Amino acid sequence: MDTARPEAQGATAPGAGAPAPSGADAPGPARAGHRRRGAFAGRQLGPRFAILVVWAAMILVYSTTESSLFPHTGTFQTIFGSQQPLVFMTMALMCTIIVGEFVDLSVPAVFGFGATILPVLVVNHGWGLWPASIVAVLACVVVGAVNGFLVVKLGVNTIVVTLGMSTLLEGISLWMSDLNTISGLPSGFQKIALYDVGGLPISFYYGIALVLAFAYLLAFTPLGRHMRFVGASREVSRLSGVRVDRIRFGSFVFAGLLSGLGAFIAVADLGGYNATTSDSYLLPVFAAVFLSTAIFEPGRFNPLGTLVGIYFLETGILGLQLLGLQSWVSQVFYGGILVIAVTISTLLHRRST
Amino acid sequence: MSVSQPEAGTGQQHRLQVARVSKTFGSARVLRDIGLSIAPGELHGLVGQNGCGKSTLVKILTGIYSPDPGGAITVDGGPLSLPVRPLEARAAGLSVVHQNLGLVDDRTVWENVRLGRFRASGLIRRIDGKAERAAVEAVFDRLGARVDISQRVGELSAEDRAAVAIARAMQDHQPGGGLIIFDESTRAMGKSARNRFFGLVQSVIDGGASVLMISHQLEEIVEVTDRVTVLRDGQVVETGIPTKDTSEAGLTRLMLGRHLVTHDRVDSHARDELAATVRHLVVRSVRDFDLDVRKGEIVGLTGLVGSGAVAVAEAVGGARAARAGTLTVNGRKLSLKPRRDSTAEFIRAGVAFVAERRLEQGLAAEMTVTQNLTLPRVRSRGRRVLTGSRWQAAETAAMIRKLDIKPPNPHQLVGTMSGGNQQKVLLGKWLAGQPALLVLHEPTQAVDVGARHDIIDAIREAAADGCGVIISSVDAADLAVLCDRVLVLRHGTVTAELAGTMTEDDIIHATFGSPGEPGDEPAPAAADSTLDSKGMAR
Repeated sequence: MDTARPEAQGATAPGAGAPAPSGADAPGPARAGHRRRGAFAGRQLGPRFAILVVWAAMILVYSTTESSLFPHTGTFQTIFGSQQPLVFMTMALMCTIIVGEFVDLSVPAVFGFGATILPVLVVNHGWGLWPASIVAVLACVVVGAVNGFLVVKLGVNTIVVTLGMSTLLEGISLWMSDLNTISGLPSGFQKIALYDVGGLPISFYYGIALVLAFAYLLAFTPLGRHMRFVGASREVSRLSGVRVDRIRFGSFVFAGLLSGLGAFIAVADLGGYNATTSDSYLLPVFAAVFLSTAIFEPGRFNPLGTLVGIYFLETGILGLQLLGLQSWVSQVFYGGILVIAVTISTLLHRRST
Repeated sequence: MSVSQPEAGTGQQHRLQVARVSKTFGSARVLRDIGLSIAPGELHGLVGQNGCGKSTLVKILTGIYSPDPGGAITVDGGPLSLPVRPLEARAAGLSVVHQNLGLVDDRTVWENVRLGRFRASGLIRRIDGKAERAAVEAVFDRLGARVDISQRVGELSAEDRAAVAIARAMQDHQPGGGLIIFDESTRAMGKSARNRFFGLVQSVIDGGASVLMISHQLEEIVEVTDRVTVLRDGQVVETGIPTKDTSEAGLTRLMLGRHLVTHDRVDSHARDELAATVRHLVVRSVRDFDLDVRKGEIVGLTGLVGSGAVAVAEAVGGARAARAGTLTVNGRKLSLKPRRDSTAEFIRAGVAFVAERRLEQGLAAEMTVTQNLTLPRVRSRGRRVLTGSRWQAAETAAMIRKLDIKPPNPHQLVGTMSGGNQQKVLLGKWLAGQPALLVLHEPTQAVDVGARHDIIDAIREAAADGCGVIISSVDAADLAVLCDRVLVLRHGTVTAELAGTMTEDDIIHATFGSPGEPGDEPAPAAADSTLDSKGMAR
């Protein structure tokens, strides 16, 4: 099942001098949060940064107990170099969550759909890389538009639409790939994702750029403000002149686009794709996005918190795997952290309002 | 403070005694040393402005909040454990009827009354419908109300719904005991339903129970209660004042801590130029409705539920799609017909609609004052890539000053503010856009006297600046002080137009008294007011 991630990790091993993005992340979001809720900043400092503290403690514990394995640049390269698909998928999920559509279950399947189309067209049908890439991304956009049309224009329940769409797309992907891993893309293609910048693959920076852009969009642009309000109350937004349906529909389309771009980068990274792995992304995507409600802006979904959540979860899992625990540990960790973190965040949020 | 020594005499014991109850949220002390006592068979009123701590006190009495240590609550001399345990409070005879009565519309009367008390029989845990129904009949007999207990609550009139809520609250009372807290229970009731409601309350009292009545309607409090307690800023200002020694004005003074500036009519600001024209509006029961609003003119729309007054206001405000009609504002002609997913073009033309249900239609509770206030203009005034913070801060500061919004913190989450201040934020959100036509729906609903004063002033000021104003309201007092002209609608047509100096009574008379059913409590009004609580905005 979980073949995608180990491959990616293996591929990013060489290189030196990992920067410490954990430290570099902190000031930006702290300031953004402070602007928005200045009055509460003092009282809520604890909840805002609790996960960062836990993260630091976790690194410390792993570093002491696993001093021979954990504290190496290779470890950090693995953690920060392997999560790009997750970054793109979480941002795709974030698009619809921000506007109040809570459960777009189809994100991993749309990603897998795009990631299957691309190598299938190139390897099995002899297409050029670029036409195939464009078709793959467009296919994801179209799926997003179909989701949006069904949910927004026709008013069908989001869970039902996206659950059905997810299963449908997974089925189609498996059929297209004939249940095989499709590989054998031209090797130059990998440069798009794996070009080494400061010890980390360039795709890591794509993810960072995407998250920062999304955070900027939400915090500082009229469109972001409108999205937040649509998520908070459709009726209030409508009566305030916000084009609610357009924003909701647009969010689904954009979610499709981000899934498609994520697929493109993941395929470049892995040199191919195995359609059976899409499933395994579902929980990590939801775990990271929901974990964001416990980071920086308690009780509120936010992109920077999601980014931290992704690497926090990966750190925990990698550490446990280095301790010699088997792959089941990722399920235990993702599931457990999701429930615990969201519970704590809910309680904190309730107390503060 | 006589909690440690309740007058030992049996007859003089207090039904409910609250002593030294405080409540602190974080650093904010919202209740300070609250003390009040209610005698058996007494109807006690509790009044205070929005945010004075009334709701917090009720939540402590019902066990939703736990009070700070040091307080005491006793019922019939027996102390309740703190925080209050709901089942213990129920056993002691303490019950609450909430704002919306807390009824489940698509269940029957008897199920609603017994909810939470169903007794399951024997092994198969089945609800014994016959026994439950008999118990419910008995409660209604004690109450002296006749309600078909097999009917669904959603089909009942407002007064019968109130009877169901009261029956539910009093069913556990011992004969001659018990206390019911009514928390703004009459808010959604029409006038005749209200009279019947107080009849039922009286029969509860006659049975020996006590009542704590919380209400914004001072008139009501003065009329029906025996004694009154006034809260201000989380403290008791006066407790147990005999109602016969006080008046609405006296209570207002105590609530505000200052003399209320009474609202006299002021000179009309209406000018000759037109602010807006409505032509051939067809919406719900309204056919071919025309209206001219001049600049600076304040026009009232009123009528019973179903009269079409609300629908007209909503259609003109862009909140509801009409079947036909046009609105011309600032020389821009807008169709009132098409279905749209926003009111953007209305806003661009200079129309502002202040919705009735502030937290469903007006403001997002989880966003800040600034974000809510600037929402309609964030695209037009902001740049595409940046909302810009300076104009937002300026706009917010101006509205906080103008409307005296409290707390004066632009970053306060709207959901944490009191109702009156939320209403001010909502009004400020639209006034900040300097509209050409301001449409308001129940602008002072469920706000305290202080907030009402500020809101009325702000509306007048907008009119003085040349804005045309349409107010849809059933509050005759508001209409009488504010409006230059009041249109009374009935079944979709204008049946009366009052202009110039008018009194509250003129408006009520024009609304209720009419050809056909002069004088007495009109039955249709009662039936309509069932819809009142639910159907107002439909």
